[in-house]
Amino acid sequence: MKILSVCGNGLGSSLILKMAVEKVLKSEDIKANVVVSDLGNAKGLDADYIVASPEIAERLKDHKATVIAIKNMMDKNEIKEKLISQINQ
Amino acid sequence: MLSEVLTEDKIVINPSVKNWREAIKAAGKLLLVDEIVTSEYVQAMITSVEDKGPYIVIAPGIAIAHARPEDGVNDLGMSLAILEKPIKFGNKDNDPVKIVFSFSSPDNERHLQVFQELTSLLMRDNFVENISNATTPEEVLEYIFEK
Repeated sequence: MKILSVCGNGLGSSLILKMAVEKVLKSEDIKANVVVSDLGNAKGLDADYIVASPEIAERLKDHKATVIAIKNMMDKNEIKEKLISQINQ
Repeated sequence: MLSEVLTEDKIVINPSVKNWREAIKAAGKLLLVDEIVTSEYVQAMITSVEDKGPYIVIAPGIAIAHARPEDGVNDLGMSLAILEKPIKFGNKDNDPVKIVFSFSSPDNERHLQVFQELTSLLMRDNFVENISNATTPEEVLEYIFEK
């Protein structure tokens, strides 16, 4: 399973979100490859899921992957409710 | 390590700021010390928000300002401004901002280790409230590194 974490630069917010997602995945015992990307490159990359801030997620809504908007990137519960619940479906 | 880059001289408490641009400058100019970044880099952190939006406000009350390695970075850096009065950055989910980090990385990888530590720090319960209780940079570091 591949998860893209996307922000404008692919350097800051997306890296923080990737690390937060990895912590939650580990606690749920789910194996996935989480990769960061900037917005421009994300459009051409394959993934099962994309996580990003709501404004970035909106700009990726046409992507083939399931796009999940995370408002509070430091909130384990929000990541669990939105991402883990999708993965477990 | 985070403790090597985020030192007492990289923390400012209650800087005098009126808007989000000044808030980013207050944190960013601390990286001018030791020429970690150029003044162009501090401006680029502001331009980045103007161009790409306020998604740098990653959680309620917390912004992480940065620009790109080619915008004027000499070394890995991290600085922190704790604002007296929270300021709106234009992020409808996570405004207003109380804690502004700024960072610089000379490439796409040098900051990975520091970001692991930063992520753990920001995921602590009541992070914003607890760090805001500090009244000196020394107390901020005591909280961050659990001395």
